[in-house]
Parts: sequence; structure tokens; C-alpha cells
Amino acid sequence: MKKKAVHYLNQFFGQVGGEDMADFEPVLHDGALGCSNIFNGVAKNVEITHTLICGDNFVASHPEEAVERCLKFLEGKSFDLFIAGPAFKAGRYGNACGLVGKAVSEKFRVPVISSMNVENPGVELFRKDIYIFKGGARATTMKPDIEAMAAFADKIAADQRLLPAAMEGYFGRGIRHQVFLADLGLEPVPACDRAVDMLLAKLNGAPFETELPIPAQDLVAIAPAIKDIRKAKIALVSSGGIVPSDNPDRIESCSATRWGKYDIAALERFPAGEYKTIHAGYDPAVANQNPNVVVPLDAIRELQKQGVLGEVDDYFYTTVGTGTTQGEAARMGQEISAVLHARGVEGVILTAT
Amino acid sequence: MKLEIGNFVVKEVAFGAKTGFADGVFTVCKEEALAEVLKDEHITEAELHIVKPGDEVRLCPVKEALEIRCRVSGAPGNHPGVTSGLQSAATGRVHTLSGAALLVVGKHWGSFQDGILDMGGPFQRDTIYGFLKNLVLVADTDEEFERHEQQKKNHALRWAGMRLAEFLGNTLAGLTPDSVDTYELDAVNRRCAAAMGLPSVVYVMQPQTQMEAMGYNTLIYGWDGNHMLPTCMHPNEILGGAVISGSFMPCSSKISTYEFQNNPTIKRLMKEHGKTLNFLGVIMSNLNVVMEQKLRSAIMVAQIAKNLGADGAIVAEEGYGNPDVDYIQVIVELENAGVKTVGISNECTGRDGKSQALVALDPKADALVSTGNVSELLRMPPMKTVLGELDALQRDGLSGGWAGCVAADGSCVIENNAMFCSDHPSGYSVKRCFEF
Amino acid sequence: MCNLVNIARTVGSNRIVPTFAVPYPLGNPQASAEEQWKMRMHRVERAVQALQTDVQEQTLFAVER
Repeated sequence: MKKKAVHYLNQFFGQVGGEDMADFEPVLHDGALGCSNIFNGVAKNVEITHTLICGDNFVASHPEEAVERCLKFLEGKSFDLFIAGPAFKAGRYGNACGLVGKAVSEKFRVPVISSMNVENPGVELFRKDIYIFKGGARATTMKPDIEAMAAFADKIAADQRLLPAAMEGYFGRGIRHQVFLADLGLEPVPACDRAVDMLLAKLNGAPFETELPIPAQDLVAIAPAIKDIRKAKIALVSSGGIVPSDNPDRIESCSATRWGKYDIAALERFPAGEYKTIHAGYDPAVANQNPNVVVPLDAIRELQKQGVLGEVDDYFYTTVGTGTTQGEAARMGQEISAVLHARGVEGVILTAT
Repeated sequence: MKLEIGNFVVKEVAFGAKTGFADGVFTVCKEEALAEVLKDEHITEAELHIVKPGDEVRLCPVKEALEIRCRVSGAPGNHPGVTSGLQSAATGRVHTLSGAALLVVGKHWGSFQDGILDMGGPFQRDTIYGFLKNLVLVADTDEEFERHEQQKKNHALRWAGMRLAEFLGNTLAGLTPDSVDTYELDAVNRRCAAAMGLPSVVYVMQPQTQMEAMGYNTLIYGWDGNHMLPTCMHPNEILGGAVISGSFMPCSSKISTYEFQNNPTIKRLMKEHGKTLNFLGVIMSNLNVVMEQKLRSAIMVAQIAKNLGADGAIVAEEGYGNPDVDYIQVIVELENAGVKTVGISNECTGRDGKSQALVALDPKADALVSTGNVSELLRMPPMKTVLGELDALQRDGLSGGWAGCVAADGSCVIENNAMFCSDHPSGYSVKRCFEF
Repeated sequence: MCNLVNIARTVGSNRIVPTFAVPYPLGNPQASAEEQWKMRMHRVERAVQALQTDVQEQTLFAVER
């Protein structure tokens, strides 16, 4: 039995029309259409049973509505994979494949396979969300691009081992897993030899390939300076694990997924015994004797008294930053920021251990 | 300086009436060996087992691995400054069992740094010890002060391992080895023109030394690595036993004493010396917990490398997490000093693979070798036999284990973190991370 | 405010004030209570100054020893 797939196409490849039909609203078509037939001609384990067609401009100008209507068409339909494009270098088409593909992947939990040219802006926007194969710039590469997608779909359908992005031919999704070299059919060269060989290449000016490319730095937009801090409200936030001694929110000692918000309105400083650290990643002795060495409540109160700053938020915000994944840390940061914004906080002193 | 290592290739390890090596068989007199182990009054119980590749045996909690060897000449013992008087480990002759190891396993209690390993089944290949013929010491101690601590010094068991490996190894002293490897390097400014004409390379080691309390860190001639600044060492000192493994690092990142004694990166660099490169030697650095300490060590490593005339360097980090700062900083300082550098370390990308691989990064670290993912989730089927106590994995705070990770049938789910020395930053790793 | 400023840089922080050590960012068990208080006040004051300072790139605000 072949697995079923739905194929997303824009107005042009969905044979509705050209640029004049770019506002075409989504429709679901039974069976294969146009380039879907190429796919069905080469795929062994997968068959496209439906095509979903939508105009590129319609998606660009009504992204939420377009996605919602596309998802609606798919409700109740039985399908195992979702194919989008290839979109070549067409930016709007790439964007539509990515937007719809991402939503389908999240809602229906099926693998989504697309194909775009490296210069298609959709690649950077959606490479972490769906499989995007490295495709050609123009429709002249339709056949090989579809064949690459179909071959990968076949592998997924047959539950075969999936190789790393570079070997399969899609843009890496930022997911790194360990693999034995032998499992990829590669020579099992031990790390010492890989290192010496890489060094010799580097020393001799020969090409070499790092096994851990350094990703572009994830910079944060710079917040403007606080104009008049004597009128501003400042909050204390920490990843050093200081909590009320009974840890009322059961924040985890490592790999934290929870954060806490605790009233300090009546406190001049954190009294030892009533507050402590639950962070498992550092020696807690000094912090437990005096939690203010991790969250400097005593110092910030002194500055408040001196009139250096306006107000200290009535709560402090805390979690544990050891073994905590980036994803969890980012989510907790967003949740804490939302509370800070709502409370009119203008500045934060964030202490990390 | 010249160090000779005489190899006795082991085809089989067996128990018998008299300890000794003959015709590829290393025979161990169990009673005699256990009597040696029990000379330490802190060892309360001890037993020996033999395991070989393919056996359906799981070992846990594994604390240490050592080579069974002896000193024939040069230093007075296998680990000068630790188990014998101090003398340079760089010269003389060592006799060793090749293809075998002594593994030290806790009878009951585990700690953060201890690990698990399988001799057969799908995870045999995760550690080099799955491919060696191993004598296994399973023992308990009276070290009550740390019985329920997550961090254990494991002093009695680690020292028992060193004593036993040497006691058994001493029977090789008067025999003729199957082969002899000679490691010899002239002083850096007294080398032949051919070597001097090749790119000069140093090997920078960052063993785990982050415990402020003594008794847990890597020892160099018996000296705690936390209390030293980077220094220049002869590669023979490492192969000759000057460095012993500590008892602190999450297990997959750990470098056992066996791996110091056999460091494959040093062996490869020695092999290349005079052919493709000029191996200047080892810069022994450390890992620290304060930014200024990290920076100080990194600056000193770069200074030593530059003064030795290094064109290139290989840096190996025993750890992950904040030690990545030390690792990347050393690479950056070396590159800033004009020393082209390659790094060897594992990664910690999370179970989902989506976390940043190292906690510190720098574009200057443009040549990195990856040895595995600390947090890869591994589902291990049951093994017929367990040596030690599998419960330790879920009870005693082993890195990579947690309450409930062991099922009633003996299968378990772990993070790679708990697999004994499996990322082999010493250089053995035949896995790496790839992007998906 | 953190000791491992390289990690702060890697994760993209824009205003960074170094602290004393990982387990006690604003304390020092080797120093007297008075010296610790002085150090803690100084570094928190630097953080407050940092909040009032416009920066164009990731900036480390140096502290006295």
C-alpha cells in the first residue's frame, strides 16, 4: 500500500493561470495535477492523492486566512506526507510553501517536503520548520527537483534511516544528532585522525570542513537607554535558582521548565534560611548563607533609598539555568518579559551564575 | 627522551592457579589478586570477573579503566607521585597487556561521574571497552562520608584499580614482548633539519579540574590540576603514566586513565613526527570555574605555544557546559597568536538536537572535530548479566540517568551522558554530530 | 550580570557587567562582609549605569577589582 500525500502548488503550477491569477483563492483538487504526475511517476512508496492550489499573492496578502483555509481543506482527509513546490527561486511561492507547510506540519504532524533554490528567501525563513531540498533556480530543473523530493518521501514512507541534511540534499534544520560514521557508510575514522588530518589541511592551505560549523550569532535588538532612571521601575531577574526555601512552584534543579515570581515588596534583603538556591550546577554554600550574592536585593534597595532609581518591582523572577535547553529558556524569557511589560517595568538586572 | 612500550597481545584473559602471560593468554590468580585489592582496609568486598567483546554483560556503575602494565625501567611505578615515588615518567620501559583493560565497577554505589557500558548488543560499540578483553573488579568500600553524595571521590576504588593493574602487570616485567613501540623526541631546538622544516604542532590537553575541593580532579604527577597553570610536557610523560583520571566529569565526556596511557591523538602525532609535521609536545592546561581563571590559562597556553614556535595546535576538552568557555577561549587565543588550531570535543545539543552545540562559540573556531552528543537519548535492551548494580543508574545521580530510567526487565533509557567515556575526547570516537 | 561573559556574548546580551564568580556572582567568601558589600554595590551601580547608557553593539561595562 502506498502512503498518501497532498501536494501544494501555486496558481501557475496548479494550472490556474499566470501572474494575473496570483490572487486565486485556495482550492483542493482530487488527484494529481501537472507536476504532481512527475512525482507519482517516480515515487515507489508514496502517491499524491490531492493537490492544494492557492495564488501566491493571496497567501502574501492574507497569510492567516490563506493558511486557515488550506488547513480546513485538509481536515478529515487521510494523508501521510505533505509536498510543497518545488518553488525554485520564486520568493512568493517559497514563502507560501513555507507558511502552509509549517502550519500543516504543526497541525497534522506529518513530514513536509519542499524544494527551493538557495537564494529563495523562503529557505532562511522556513528551513528549521520543514524539509527544504536544494533546488534549481528555474523550472527547467523541475524533474530532478521533484525526483529528489520523491526519493526522500519514499524513504520516509518505507521507514528507512534518514541521513544527515547534507547527504540527503536538504537545507539543515538546525538539529544536531550523533551518528556513528559506519552507519552512514563512511569510513569510521577516529576523532584523533580526523583532527590531525584537518590540522594538516589547515596548515597546508588545503580545503577542510569543520564538523561543527559556528552558526551566525543570534543577536538581540538593543534596547534604548532608560532616559530618566530616577522615575523608572527596575526588576530583578535571575537564573541562579534563588527561591523561597520551600520552592513553592517546584522549579527543577536542572533542565528547568518552570520559573517563579515572588513578592519582595516587604523585603530589604533576602534573609538566609527563608530563601535558598535550588540550582544543581554550582556549589550552593555561599548563596544559601546570603542569597543577596546571587540576587542583589540589598544593593538595589540601597540605590532606591539613595534615589538613584525610581522603583523596584514588587516581585522578583527566578529560574534555574543549568542543563536548561535554549528552547525552554527562550519560552520562559518571553513569558517573564510579558509580565514585566504588563507591570510597567523599564529595566532589568539579570544575574546569571 | 625515549620511552619504550612493550606490548603483550592478549587473545584471552582467564582465571587460573598462577598469574602470568603465556601464548597470548593472560592468566589471573583470583585469590592472589583479591588479596592485593583487600590490602586497603577501606575495601570491604571485592570480586573479579572476566568479560570479552560480544558477551551479553552490562557493567554499572563503571568508575575507571586502566591498562594492566608495569614499569620495567625509568620511573619506580606506573603512576609516579600517586602510587609510587616521584620520578619523570618520560623515559625508560613499560610492559603492557595490549587489547585488554582493567575496569573498576562499584558493587552498589554510583556517583555523578560513573557510567554504564555493554560488552555486547547494540551499544557494545559506544565505548572502546566493548572491544577489549576486560578484567572487571567489582567492589564496595566503607567510605560512608560520601555514600549518599552525588559527587564521590571514589578514592579507595580508583586506587585499588591502580594497585591491581600494577600488581598483575608486574608479572610481565621479565618477559619478552610481542612488539615494542618506541616514542622518542629530541629537545625542540635540537631536531634534525627534516623535522625542523615541517609545520610545528602542539597538543593542548584540557583535563577536567573544576572541583575546588581536592580529591576529585585529574592528577598530574599526583598534583591536583586545579592548582596549576598550563605547562609544557613531553608526550612520553602522558603515555608513561604521569596523568590519572579524576572523579568528577559527566561520564561520556570523561577521559579514563587507560585513555591517558594510550592517548591516540598523541600516538598519531608521534607517528606523523618528522613525516608531515614537527610534534613539539603537549601543553597541559586545565578547566576552571571563574572567567579570569579561564582567560589566564588560555593566555598562558597561547604564550607557551608561540614561544615553542608552534604553527598549529590540537586542543582537546574533557567536558561540556561551562568548560566550553575554556575550550573556545584557548582556540581564540591560539588563533590570535597565529597558531592554526583544531579542536576536539563533544556537543550538547539536547535530546531534540536543537540546542546550541557549545555554550560559547566564536567564528575563529573554524576547525572543530565533534565526538558525540551528550544528551542523545539511548534505549538500551536488557543484558543477560549485570556486573555491579543497575539501580545505581537511577538512584545515585549518575549523569544521564534519572529515577525511573531502569525498567524491571533490565532495559533502560539513558542520555549518552551516562555511557562510560563514550565521547572519547582523547580521540577514539568513531561518531560525531551531523545536522539534520 | 554574570561571570562567564563569553556565554553572555554568545547568547546575544547587549549590556554586560562582569560578576565575581559563578557560585557567588556578587559575593566573595574570601573577603570581609564590608568588602563584599562594597563590591556588590559597585557592580550593581555599574548595571544601573549600563541601563542608562546607549550602546551600538554588545558592550562590556568594566568594573573595579
